[in-house]
Amino acid sequence: MKPKVIIGVLIIAAGIVLSAVNFVQSNVEYGDFATAEKQQKKIQVKGEWVKDQDSFFDAERAQFHFVMKDDNGKICKVVLDGAKPNNFELATSVVAKGKMADGHFHATDVLTKCPSKYEGDAASVQKTL
Amino acid sequence: MIGGIIIKVAFVAALAASLFYFRSRGLLRPKELNIARNAYHAATIGVMSAFALLLYFILTHQFQYTYVWNYSSSDLSLPLLISTAYAGQEGSFLLWALYTSIIGVFLMVYTSKKEYEPEVMSTYSLILSFLLLMLIFKNPFAHIWDTFPNDLVKSGVIPADVTNFVWLDQAKGIWAQFPVEGKGLNPLLQNYWMVIHPQILFMGFSSMAVPYSLAVAGLMRRDYSSWIRIATPWSVFGAMVLGTGIILGGYWAYETLGWGGFWGWDPVENSSLIPWLFCVASIHTTLTQRKSGAFVRTNFALSLLTFLMVLYSTFLTRSGVLGETSVHSFVDPGMIVYWMLLGFIAIFAAIGFGLLFVRMKEMPKVPVEHSILSREFALFLGAASLTFIAVFVTIGTSSPIITGILKGKASAVDISYYVKTNLPLGIALTFLSGLGQLLWWKTSQSTPFLKRLIAPAVFGAAITALVLALGSEEWQILLFVFCAGFSLLANLIVGAEIYRGNPKFAGGAIAHIGIAVMCLGFVTSERYDQKKTMALEKNKPAEAMGYQLKYTGYRPNADGKYGFVVEVEKDGRKRTVAPVMYFSEFTKSVMRHPDLINYIDRDFYVAPLSLEEAQVGAREIQQELVKEQPTQVSGVTVTFADFDMGNFEKGAMVEGKDFAIRAHLDVTDGKKSARLTLTMKGGGGQMPTFIGQDFVDTKGGRYAFNLIRIEPNREDKSQSKVQISVTPPNLPEAKPKDETLVIEASVKPYINLVWVGTVTLVVGFFLTILRRVEEARLKE
Repeated sequence: MKPKVIIGVLIIAAGIVLSAVNFVQSNVEYGDFATAEKQQKKIQVKGEWVKDQDSFFDAERAQFHFVMKDDNGKICKVVLDGAKPNNFELATSVVAKGKMADGHFHATDVLTKCPSKYEGDAASVQKTL
Repeated sequence: MIGGIIIKVAFVAALAASLFYFRSRGLLRPKELNIARNAYHAATIGVMSAFALLLYFILTHQFQYTYVWNYSSSDLSLPLLISTAYAGQEGSFLLWALYTSIIGVFLMVYTSKKEYEPEVMSTYSLILSFLLLMLIFKNPFAHIWDTFPNDLVKSGVIPADVTNFVWLDQAKGIWAQFPVEGKGLNPLLQNYWMVIHPQILFMGFSSMAVPYSLAVAGLMRRDYSSWIRIATPWSVFGAMVLGTGIILGGYWAYETLGWGGFWGWDPVENSSLIPWLFCVASIHTTLTQRKSGAFVRTNFALSLLTFLMVLYSTFLTRSGVLGETSVHSFVDPGMIVYWMLLGFIAIFAAIGFGLLFVRMKEMPKVPVEHSILSREFALFLGAASLTFIAVFVTIGTSSPIITGILKGKASAVDISYYVKTNLPLGIALTFLSGLGQLLWWKTSQSTPFLKRLIAPAVFGAAITALVLALGSEEWQILLFVFCAGFSLLANLIVGAEIYRGNPKFAGGAIAHIGIAVMCLGFVTSERYDQKKTMALEKNKPAEAMGYQLKYTGYRPNADGKYGFVVEVEKDGRKRTVAPVMYFSEFTKSVMRHPDLINYIDRDFYVAPLSLEEAQVGAREIQQELVKEQPTQVSGVTVTFADFDMGNFEKGAMVEGKDFAIRAHLDVTDGKKSARLTLTMKGGGGQMPTFIGQDFVDTKGGRYAFNLIRIEPNREDKSQSKVQISVTPPNLPEAKPKDETLVIEASVKPYINLVWVGTVTLVVGFFLTILRRVEEARLKE
């Protein structure tokens, strides 16, 4: 075989292996607080913000504390690195990415999900009449 | 009404243009050709009028149109009003169609000179007709009473106070009310970037249809080589425009949206990067085909993929398929758009790759003659790396779909995936972009070639040493820096040689210089940045990373939003930044915009996090406890044991006597435990008072516990609840504090390299276009 072909095949093989390994490693799987307690891996938990429990921003550490209920109904305190996410009040559900630490869920990222947030709905058309 | 008709007419005209162009190919059929051209022009005029009409409706605030109501309002400034024409999905498809149709007019003139018009324009018109078909289903001219018939369509007598109505059927007494004000534009989009960025991006997307059309035309004609010369100027134009759009988007995210950096591997960003990478790869492989005739099939495939990836990216970001997994909240546009976009991809993939497959066997097989030390081979490896990056980014961005199919539950990859997979390829690319320039076509003599490597390698090592002086880094990053430095000097040397010969030929070298400089800027600003979260108490100076910071209060800006003024002092020079935070009614949340000071060798970047009001006491946490259920509260476990109702049960309260209810809590920090008793006292018709108790943990931290509310449950005692407040010790002590601005301050060294590199890259692209247009003209 020509050296060029060998180089080409090696590069392609290395690329595929690299990609597959990285893909599996960095895929942040969905879980709930129960699975988060069992494993040390970063996961994402979908649930909703428990609004009637206290949430606040710890200015010294720049962390936002709130309480979240996952889809199985388990309630857990979440500490997010950063400020209160945009659209937090509006969100019908939130997704926290992170892992368990010291009895709370330490999130590096919280996504807010607002279905049809920017889409016109019947309630808002009434308001602008 | 009229708008919808215009779009339908334009669709029919574009489809007719495609058919007549198809019929006019091969033989000289001036009649068909004439009809086709007129039909295409009619379609273009139609799209332009539709866009003009939409603009007119927006500028005159005709909120009886759903689109106008949904995205604009009467209080927006003129530039922002114009930008609402493409702020929504329907409008952005219209903008895409607009640019596609206009570019087609130039393409028509250009290809007619090259006698390539019928096949190219037949394919291109088909693309335009598909965009218009989307617009028929996502019509920007829908009336609001058709969108909300239940709320707006009424019958009978019109109340006297309703003036904003329209008769739908006066004979039957059916009428509809329409809004007098629009919902307005998302505040995230309300800045000057919105005016230019989508325009450039869509111009780039639109021009990607040209290489596709030319590739299909080449396949139809069995012309496997000369289509490249015609296509290259367009590919380079597309790469230049889309590249500019991507970087502008990055700068928007950095400067206004406050993402902290200019690139976040977000699906929306990725979706414009993927076609760009395929386009750039095709520019490199077509270059090889011109020289040696190799890569015939590859060039077809890459040119086809460039456009197909525009469609796939549109599918990813517009169909709602990524809905759950991104920072962006994608609007679910409904199943029609989902299936239409999938059909769009399937049809154009089938046309392109179907033709390629049919013609594959008869394509000339060019024996590959170049050695490893040849520019061809370097170009091949470079294009392969670009393709790999494009594929990896595509896989990463599609991961919610992939995991959805494999595991049944969609999940996105972490950003680290992109860095890990693309860094080795980035190293290879930067190295090759220098190496390739130093190599000759076909083969290079190894000794003179190795001599030419010395200076760039030494320069790369010197740059690496300079970067190392900023701080240590992992070896892959340092290798990347070395290769970028290597490529920078190699291209400078080669560029200078070419420039002396013919300045127009230096485009490639200049573009590579731009890329190398950008790569250096990526590393210094993203890997050597320093970040610090600061709580700035008003008028109290604080120090961060060698800068003196002082928050001096907030002031209203011209637009009525508040800027939070921070004085930044460094080396005796005082400047101010005023990041903005405000509450948006539109998104019902706090919006934050950063501010920065651009020094020549770094940016000082201030992202606002929150404003803490002046406070006098410690912060307390409220918590509800259910009987006998241990609950975590700020580091301790609290279990509500039971109530002691005292004389309350005997009706003490009803009789107005004094009473006391006690709640027993078991508190533990793991090592130390205690039973606390919280008391609620009342009587004599007075509001009850609460008496708390403290818990001192192993480390001596004092937790103040108190009662807020009791909820005894007589039927089921295990459901009795109590609401308590806890003031933990690790939160700020009870000392008065002035208003405090919390920010994240960061220093981004040499970020200007990114912008300088970008401008250089665009200049390089531009020179290349000039050269390739001239070359294509010479071949006529």
